[in-house]
Amino acid sequence: MAAHTRGTELELSWISKVQVNQPAVLRRAQQIQARRTVKKEWQAAWLLKAVTFIDLTTLSGDDTFSNIQRLCYKAKYPIREDLLKALNMHDKGITTAAVCVYPARVCDAVKALKAAGCDIPVASVATGFPAGQTHLKTRLEEIRLAVEDGASEIDVVIDRSLVLTGQWEALYDEIRQFRKACGEAHLKTILATGELGSLTNVYKASMIAMMAGSDFIKTSTGKETVNATFPVAIVMLRAIRDFFWKTGNKVGFKPAGGIRTAKDSLAWLSLIKEELGDEWLKPELFRIGASSLLTDIERQIYHHVTGRYAAYHDLPMS
Amino acid sequence: MAETRAELRAHEIFTTLEYGPVPESYACATAWLDTQDRCLGHYVNGKWLKPVHGDIVPWWDPISGEKLATCLQAQKEDVAAAVEAARNSFLSWSKLPGAARAQHLTRLAKMIQKHQRLLWTLESLATGRAIREVRDGDVPLAQQLLQFHAVQAYTQEEALAGWEPVGENPDPCTSPRLLRDTVCWISPLMNSLFLAGVVGLILPPKFSFLEMMWRICPALAMGCTVVALVPLASPTPLLLAQLAGELGSFPGIINVISGPASLGPALASWPGVQKVAFCGAIEEGRALRRTLAGEGAELGLALGTESLLLLTDSADVDSAVEGVVDAAWSDRSPGGLRLLVQESVWDETMKRLQVRMGRLRGGQEVDGAVDMGVKEPTAYILARNYVEEARKQGAQVFQASEMPSVSPFCPPTLITGLPPASPCAQAEVPWPLVMASAFRTAKEALAIVNGTPRGGSASVWSERLGLALELGYGLQMGTVWINAHGLRDPAVPTGGCKESGSSWHGGLDGLYEYLRPSGTPARVPFLCENLNYDTFGLAVPPALPAGPEMGPSPAPPYGLFVGGRFQAPGSRSSRPIQDSSGNLHGYVAEGGAKDVRDAVEAAHQAAPGWAGQSPGARAALLWALAAALERRVPTLASRLERQGVELKAAKAEVELSIQRLRTWGAQAQAQGHTLQVAGLRGPVLRLREPLGVLAIVCPDELPLLAFVSLLAPALAHGNTVVLVPSGTCPLLALEVCQDMATLFPAGLVNVVTGNRDHLTRCLALHQDIQALWYFGSAQGSQFVEWASAGNLKPVWVNRGCPRAWDQEAEGAGPELALRAARTKALWLPMGD
Repeated sequence: MAAHTRGTELELSWISKVQVNQPAVLRRAQQIQARRTVKKEWQAAWLLKAVTFIDLTTLSGDDTFSNIQRLCYKAKYPIREDLLKALNMHDKGITTAAVCVYPARVCDAVKALKAAGCDIPVASVATGFPAGQTHLKTRLEEIRLAVEDGASEIDVVIDRSLVLTGQWEALYDEIRQFRKACGEAHLKTILATGELGSLTNVYKASMIAMMAGSDFIKTSTGKETVNATFPVAIVMLRAIRDFFWKTGNKVGFKPAGGIRTAKDSLAWLSLIKEELGDEWLKPELFRIGASSLLTDIERQIYHHVTGRYAAYHDLPMS
Repeated sequence: MAETRAELRAHEIFTTLEYGPVPESYACATAWLDTQDRCLGHYVNGKWLKPVHGDIVPWWDPISGEKLATCLQAQKEDVAAAVEAARNSFLSWSKLPGAARAQHLTRLAKMIQKHQRLLWTLESLATGRAIREVRDGDVPLAQQLLQFHAVQAYTQEEALAGWEPVGENPDPCTSPRLLRDTVCWISPLMNSLFLAGVVGLILPPKFSFLEMMWRICPALAMGCTVVALVPLASPTPLLLAQLAGELGSFPGIINVISGPASLGPALASWPGVQKVAFCGAIEEGRALRRTLAGEGAELGLALGTESLLLLTDSADVDSAVEGVVDAAWSDRSPGGLRLLVQESVWDETMKRLQVRMGRLRGGQEVDGAVDMGVKEPTAYILARNYVEEARKQGAQVFQASEMPSVSPFCPPTLITGLPPASPCAQAEVPWPLVMASAFRTAKEALAIVNGTPRGGSASVWSERLGLALELGYGLQMGTVWINAHGLRDPAVPTGGCKESGSSWHGGLDGLYEYLRPSGTPARVPFLCENLNYDTFGLAVPPALPAGPEMGPSPAPPYGLFVGGRFQAPGSRSSRPIQDSSGNLHGYVAEGGAKDVRDAVEAAHQAAPGWAGQSPGARAALLWALAAALERRVPTLASRLERQGVELKAAKAEVELSIQRLRTWGAQAQAQGHTLQVAGLRGPVLRLREPLGVLAIVCPDELPLLAFVSLLAPALAHGNTVVLVPSGTCPLLALEVCQDMATLFPAGLVNVVTGNRDHLTRCLALHQDIQALWYFGSAQGSQFVEWASAGNLKPVWVNRGCPRAWDQEAEGAGPELALRAARTKALWLPMGD
């Protein structure tokens, strides 16, 4: 794990003059999907790489130990062994980047992963996920408990009302406290961009979250009506780059929600490559929050190796 | 073995995450070339024409060096065949009801849809533009163009009543233009020659087939037929012509011949060609303008490829950087970009731009993941020479490093540190170069941009609405995008001003290019072979006393009306004016070159104030003049009477003149409109802006009515005017000037009397006059057309033909309104 980026003092001048032009960003978002594509073995290699970025996620009301255990094993063996062998990639130790669960399921996940004999980190959502509308005290306690249970990455949601009413100092202080509560655990700050109202707000919230010491900024909870979209991502990535240029700190990026197809994941990879460069294409700095994406990637790999389209029963479920 | 390598590669790619080749198959393009036996001819009248007489030129693939095909060079015989075919089809095509033409265009759109893969691979292969741009941008737009113009054709009879396609020739005997007993000099024999509405289209090398679509769609929709002269190795226009030809019914409406640029003038002056649309380099356009002087065909020029991007400190800089990529490095436009950056965000912009440049990809055009394809060697050489020259003049050059080194590939290049005064900065920036310079304030930016001779397209980047609109309205450009660059739509007129040429494509303005008011005669050559451009109007015959002076007291000579007052001419001599019975009517000033200069300066000083007036204020002033003239009716009528007009007719002429002032005053209110465009949230404003200083040479006939009919629309549209009144009787215009002296702001209207040929020469050669209307002799018209090549001002000449000023259509019709202002498209995308 990389050293934590511990953030900076609050610098409101970094966000005061920000201009984000929404129609122009939308056009860029359309272009980026059409202008880059990879085929054949490049596609296979990129897809396998995408697997290593996945935070394999289950955030349902009906999660129990058994499906958490299935998830953890899938995280450890994301692609069928014979397919990896055919690509000569079986020795690369390909697993997903993490598993992501509700705080109450952290123990289950830690236990299952231990049983599977693997050191994939467990990520837990926290702070009144997904709405963030609980008292600060309970939200902080939630983080501490999840860390105690063994979560090494905490996905916190911000209080959207602070953004919408422009209380940047309050937002900074709040995330600072989350940061502190996390201790050594990684802090991923979910901006819930679908509820921030404008792209300019997305940029400002990203900047504040990074100043307050987030290790990652994450687009959405997956529970809002609008999830990870390219325009939002472009704005967040530009904020990450600006923050890097200003401070030298590299902050990670995690899109989540609505990323379901292998093709989508390739577009996300090329988006990162184009906007931030190759150095961000590693699990320490880029994650994809997803649950059904892995299945589709595995199907594409199956097709690449065998030349046939897989039936559902050809691939083990998670 | 091969499989192992592939596996190894996957292993490696997993670590590096590099991009791989995404080759698109161009098998269909080569298969199509095979159907031509790898030999490209011409497509005329629905048939392939492969004459053996022409030279054969090979077409090489710039990357593989493979010979793709051989191309036949057209000769004059082929031009003749193509024009003949187009003329024959014009007879049936233009007579079709609009609905039938609409249907035919829709069928062509469907045809393109069916064969779009062939179209885009062939186009990409031929032009070296990235296949993605052709596939996702050009081909869908080509279909939209056809559909849009099909709708225009469908509504033509209703929406464009009173207009007809260029080319139809009314019977000269019944034409309303025969106002007085003037005889048209065209012999009936010549008339029979010009029964055709053929549009000649001349396209430059390295053009996209869209340039052709933008022009043939409106031409076909309005009922014209087309002969396109394309450079060698341009198979896409030939394919388009073939697709159109295979629709069956009207094979000859699109004819494509490929040949050298030297054939351009031959096509343009071919009998029957009524309209010439040329797009290409500025100097070539200028040369063609001179060659075609007096040849008859109307010339529409779209020149230059450079674009401009203005980045203010209130911009979303990252998005603006993407705008630079769109403009220069995405194979969308064939030209380079001039980038103006506000000094306070200069460093930030340059940093972001250079990082972005490092991420661009170049390579073989038929690769699905490149930004820029490999162009033909001439484009590469042009760019390289410019870079070398810029370096010599002290510029800093930044080039993206990770680009293929395959020759001929010019990497994206950023040039900085060239002030406007360096010779390189004045030349047109070629593809794929971006020349950046700094400005301090918005006012300075406007001064810098408007201080160049180019007037094509520009984008303004600012999140401040007031500033963005200030710049958008202030830029002298045909198209201005706010916070976007390079957007296109069939409904939006695209054109330019100044040296970018003043022709239009798209929207309503694009249709008018191929129309003329019903009843206007066909354009015929009025060429005077022995007209000497060097001496035309150069010398002024001396004016001598023409006494005896009649009347109770000697009539005082009128001065020149310049800058709001009457002045003595620089020559200090006067010109006698005779009445209809040959007696002396009065003396007017003998104006000369210096007087024209002063008049133009006065008009320029008045221009910003007048253009800034609200239409209501302009209307009020025109109406005030009308009221003043009403008080002068007896004087004016008696002046006319002395010119041999019956009293009743004279009074009618004065009354009609007054009415014209009122009509145009009222019309001043109705300007421009808003367009709604597919795929864009937000409006596109079609603005009608003043031309600037408009020079008008009035006809000799109808000395008052023609004068007012020309002056009123010019003023109503916000122009300031330098005017040469009727030569036979300038006194009426000067009479009106007495009222203008008290009513109008100084310099708004300037009237210079004197030798018409001499004054015409001075006006036509003046570089700072934005447009010229000439109504006089055929020689004068020819000279005006020739001389306008200097600053490429739009000119309107009567080619020696009289005009029915007392008729509504010719004296006050929409043609005047169309010519009195220029269009600007202002794109305003919205969203938050």
